[in-house]
Parts: sequence; structure tokens; C-alpha cells
Amino acid sequence: MKKRSQKIRNNDSAGYLMSLPYIIYFCLFIGFPLVFSFILIFHKWNIITPMEWVGLRNFVRLFRDIQFFKSIQNTLKFLIIHIPLQITVALLLAVLLNQKIKARGFFRALYFLPVIVSGVVITLLWRQLYAYDTGLLNTLLTHLGFARIPWITEPEWAMPSIAIMATWKNVGLYVVLFLVGLQGIPRYMYEAAEMDGAKAYQQFFYITLPALNSTMVLVIILSTIGGFSLFIEPFVMTGGGPINSTLSAMLYIYNQAFYFGHMGYAATLGFFFAFIVLAVVLIQKKFVERKD
Amino acid sequence: MKRNCRRQKTVIRGLFLLCMLILLCSGCARNGRERQAGNGHGVKLTYWCSPNQNEINLAQELVNQWNADHPDIQVILQPIPASQSSEEALLAAIAGKTTPDVCSNMWPGAMDDFTSSGGLVRLDEFPDYFDYMTARIPLDLLESFRAPDGHYYQIPWKTNPIMLMYNVGMFREAGIQKVPLTYSEYLAAAKLITKDLDGDGNYDQWMGYRDIRPIWWQRFFDYFTFYIAASGGKTLFDDSEIIFDNNASVQVFQFFQDIYNNDYYPTTTFQGDNFIAGKLATQFCGPWNVIHVEKFELPGFEFDISPIPVPDDYSGPVYTYGDHKNISIFSTTKYPREAWEFTRYLVTAQADLRLLELCSQIPLRKDLTSNPLYRDYFQQNPKMVKYAEQAPFTRGVDGASDLKEIFDGISQEYEACAIYGRKAPQEAVADAARRASVIIEWNRSR
Repeated sequence: MKKRSQKIRNNDSAGYLMSLPYIIYFCLFIGFPLVFSFILIFHKWNIITPMEWVGLRNFVRLFRDIQFFKSIQNTLKFLIIHIPLQITVALLLAVLLNQKIKARGFFRALYFLPVIVSGVVITLLWRQLYAYDTGLLNTLLTHLGFARIPWITEPEWAMPSIAIMATWKNVGLYVVLFLVGLQGIPRYMYEAAEMDGAKAYQQFFYITLPALNSTMVLVIILSTIGGFSLFIEPFVMTGGGPINSTLSAMLYIYNQAFYFGHMGYAATLGFFFAFIVLAVVLIQKKFVERKD
Repeated sequence: MKRNCRRQKTVIRGLFLLCMLILLCSGCARNGRERQAGNGHGVKLTYWCSPNQNEINLAQELVNQWNADHPDIQVILQPIPASQSSEEALLAAIAGKTTPDVCSNMWPGAMDDFTSSGGLVRLDEFPDYFDYMTARIPLDLLESFRAPDGHYYQIPWKTNPIMLMYNVGMFREAGIQKVPLTYSEYLAAAKLITKDLDGDGNYDQWMGYRDIRPIWWQRFFDYFTFYIAASGGKTLFDDSEIIFDNNASVQVFQFFQDIYNNDYYPTTTFQGDNFIAGKLATQFCGPWNVIHVEKFELPGFEFDISPIPVPDDYSGPVYTYGDHKNISIFSTTKYPREAWEFTRYLVTAQADLRLLELCSQIPLRKDLTSNPLYRDYFQQNPKMVKYAEQAPFTRGVDGASDLKEIFDGISQEYEACAIYGRKAPQEAVADAARRASVIIEWNRSR
């Protein structure tokens, strides 16, 4: 008995040793930053001077910070455009790519390609496409007899333009998720519906969509979290302008930390924002998820 | 099986120990190098200058001369490492404890960060600091560079007063007889200058151009310069209180809103220097630009300098933004006395003459226009006389904490009001002041 427990202990230590790389990774890159950020909430620190205890002052500033709330508003505006657009396009493409079409594998890979390309590269590319005077989109529009669109130079257009670009970049991932969901729907359900005389759109709304509920919840939650993390696109494309219309919450937090050197305040904003994301995701889950 | 398992564990442990050993060795090796560097013969000082080529040339000349005259105190020159701004590079160096002994591109607006981090040597601890400084500049000017703790950490070195540079030929062609000194004169001239020359419906020449991006330091050269002029030499703060929520700020915002409303300035980005190309009639710049324009101007190109336009109802001397740059010694130096000696050498009358000659920048010294040493230079460069005469009527930035963020707030409001016309000047100025007060109150929580 003693020998057996000794053996288990030996196995345990080997197991711990094997998981040591992850434990080190977790401690260095997740645990420590999280705990340190929490400590920073109550401090003022600009990296070069010693940390100063400020109590809840960072929260006092947060609730008076018009620009932070403007950045949240911008992020929500982005989400309102981006999530429905992304779900619609992804679902449409997934349904199409689930059909027996030629070069299906090629198209599936093609739509996934932007997901694996660097966000900075894509944003630089789209900045050229959106250029007011020389951009490809406006050149096309003027050739067709339409007026130029101030894609990223007018406050009203800038965030929708970024949402379109973000949808183009991320849609491939959600196409894959929907494809997995679609392939999990039993074929006999469609056959039974066909026998009952259901038309294609009825099959889609009464079989496909309800059967995709769990995928839909996943897609909505992932796109919400991804949307709240909006950073690279405005950072590279617009710098948050014009008139702060594309200043996302993440960009504002980044600016506070690394542009103005307010590490403590940025940590406070980060935690506050994380709770907003959590609340939104819980609300979405409650309304979208079906237990049946 | 049991033996295999034991062997695997031994291998894993061995690998782990090896990794730890490599990390330890690499750490020790670095310390070893550092120790070795400290064992050199004689005194070695590191001096960082501005990365601007003219200033590198000046610094190189001065350092070569110094090294020849002082074999026991050798100076190694390095331009400030590349970064978005010199201040960011210096702050990173303070954080990493890799600061030089001496730096000559210290912006007074960032001094609060440098001093509060204990990064600088107190210069007034040197017994001859005050005598040397008061012989060079007026006492009230020296006072303006005193840190909030009552001490001095910088040698006021040079100023670059921002003034109006205008194309004489374009003014003449447009029938403008008099250089615009007020807002209404400037706008009237702008109306005559801004034209569509080839009849394609787009303007081809404008009254001026400013970078419209809401980058905080860009506002030094439009809003802040004009605010100092319109307010008779005020800055953003008075005794740590925000004072820019006033009529002068509103007038400046209104002035630039009028300019952009009437398309007197383009809002697109240009390549190249369009002032020299004759597409822009005016620009607001410091004396450094004189040498640039004279170098690249086409035959027949004529330009001159004038004070910054002021509101129509303004009277009194016209002040402007001084864009001061000073010299400091960093507290990482092992040789503060030698560094102080070298710093004094950088601001001798002869070094200041070379600053004028090589960089077209104005040294901060009270005898600039009267000292015979500089007479020949000013006779050969009459445009620089205007900058030298403007120098006493300059203001720098306040040494307040978070000045960068306050200017960022002003930039945002300037963009909304002046460039896009989405806010009334009063509202924009009030919003900028409100944001600044939130930042300041938060800062006072220290």
C-alpha cells in the first residue's frame, strides 16, 4: 500500500514538472499581470516614478471622464453594426459553402485567409482602399457616376467603415463555426420537412436557425468579446479620429497607459470595462440561449 | 518501465537545470560587462544631443574641440535614440537607468516627469550656478525655469520664437500692401491669396497650412502660439490654476474656424515643402526654418518675417511661443562636477555663436543683440534679427504634470471646432478646460 502511494506521489511530481512550463507561463503572463493590475487600481504610477497610493481617486476620475464614456459609446456603435453584419454574412456564406458546389474546399480556405493575416496588414490595405481621393473604392464609385464617400474622414462614416473592414477580416472564423453547426444538423429533419411540403426558406427558419442556436450563442459571445477588444483597426487606420469618432475603449485604455503613462488609471479603466463586457455577455446569453 | 520513467524524470530535471543555468550565466555576463565598462581610464561622459542633423554637426564640433582641450575628460556624443519624441526616449532611458551624463534637448514641459523621478542633478547645488546663469539671462527668465520644488535642474539654452514667415512675391501679386498684423487683416489677405489657378474647381494656392491631426504637440504651433499672442503672454496656467478658458482662447478658436470654413488652409496632407514651392503664402515657424528656406529656395523667391497676428482689439507687445530647449545633467552620472564643467562649455559665448551659425537657432542670452561677437552674424543674416528681437517676448510651456494629456484635450476640441466646425468656439474651449481640470484634480491627489 505504502509502495503504491509512493508511486502515485512520484507520478504526481513528474506531472507537476511536465506542467511547469504552463504554470510558469500562467504565473508570468496571466496571474501576475492580473494581480498587479488590481493593485494598480489604487495607485498612480507612470513606470519611472514610485507607485503612489491614491485610494479610489482613479474611480472618481473614471466617472467624470467624458472621453472614456464616449469611447464606450463608440465601441457599442461598432458592435451594433458589426455583430448583425458578421452573423448575417457568415451564416449566408456558411449555408452556401455547405452546398455541393465546385471548389468548395478552395472557397472555404479563401474565406478563412483574412483571419490568419495580420490585422495591421489588413488595416493598412483597407486604409488604401478607403482613401478619399485615390482609394480604389472611391475611384470605382466615381467611374460608376456616384459621389466619393468620405469613408474614414467624416465622423459619421468612420466607424461603419471600420465595422465593414472588421467583418471582412473575421467572417471566415464564424463561417467555420457555422459550418460545423450546419453539419451537425441531422439530414432526416430536412427530409421529413420536404415530405411535409416545407419550402427552402421554411426549412431555414424552422430547422436550420433553431438547430444552430448553440453555435449562434457562441458566435455572438465571441464577436461581442472580439468587438469590445477593437484596437488595431482604429489605432492603425484613424488613430481614434476624426473627432474621436473611432476612439474605441481599448484604444483609450492603451493611450492612457502607454501614451500618457497613467498605468493605475488605465488598470482601473480596464477592470471597469471588463465588467461591462461580462455584463453584456451575460445579458446576451440570457436572451439568445435556449435551453431546449 | 520503472527505469525508463526514472530516466525521463532525470532528463527533464537536467533540462530544467540547464535552462536555469543558461539564464543565470547570461545575467552574470551582463553584470560582468557593466563592471568592465566602469574600469576605464580617466573620465568619460556621454552626451546626447538632438537628432536634428544641424545640431548633430554643432555638437560634434563642440565635442571635438572639448576632447582636444580636455584629454582627462573625454566626451562621447550620441544623438537621442530614435523615438516618437525626445521626451519619450529620455523617459524610457530613465526607467531603464541608461540615461546619458548630459543632454541638450530638454523640453521644459517634461521636466516635472524627469525631476519627480529623481532623474536629474540639482544644478543650483553647484556654487557658481546662479552667478553663471544671471550673467547669461535675466533673473525673471531664469525664475520661469525653476522646478515646483524650488530648485533648478536645467540650463536655459535656446529659444525658437514662432513667427509669421510670408512669401513676399505672392503678397505682391495678390495686391497685399501691408503684412497682416491682426486677424481681420490676415483673413482679408487670405481671401485674396487663396485661388483656383487652373480653373478645375479646386484651389491650388492657399494662405497657409497646418497639420490638422489631433496630435498634442502640433497645437504648440497654432493654438498655443496664437493664444500666447492674443492673451498678451499668458500660458495655460497661473499659479497651478487653469486660465485658458478665456476670451483669448475663444478668439483663437474662432480665427482658425474662419480659416477652415473658408478653405484658406487645405485639409489634405501634402508631400514636400509647399511654402518654398509657392503654393502657400504664409507659415508659422521658428528661426530654424530660415536656413532651410534659404537653402532650397528657387531664384527670385522672396520671404520675410513678421510677428504673429493678434485679435483686432489687442494692444501691447506681441508675445509668442518660445519653444525653449535646455541642458540638464542626469543623476546617473558618476561625474557631476565634470559634467557641469562640460555643460558650462556648451553655453559659452563662442558656442552660442556656432549655434546661430550652424543651426539658425537663438541662444538665450541677454546680450545677444548688443554683444560685438554676434554683430557680423546678424549683419549677414538680417532675418534672424527679427527672431532675436522677438526672443525676449516669448513664453514657454508650463511645467505642469500631464501637460501632454491637457494638450491632447485641447487638440480634440480644436479639431471638432476649428477643422470640422462641429462646435462653437466657446463650447470647445469650455470643454477643453473642463477636461483639463479633471486631469489636474486627479493629479493633485498625489
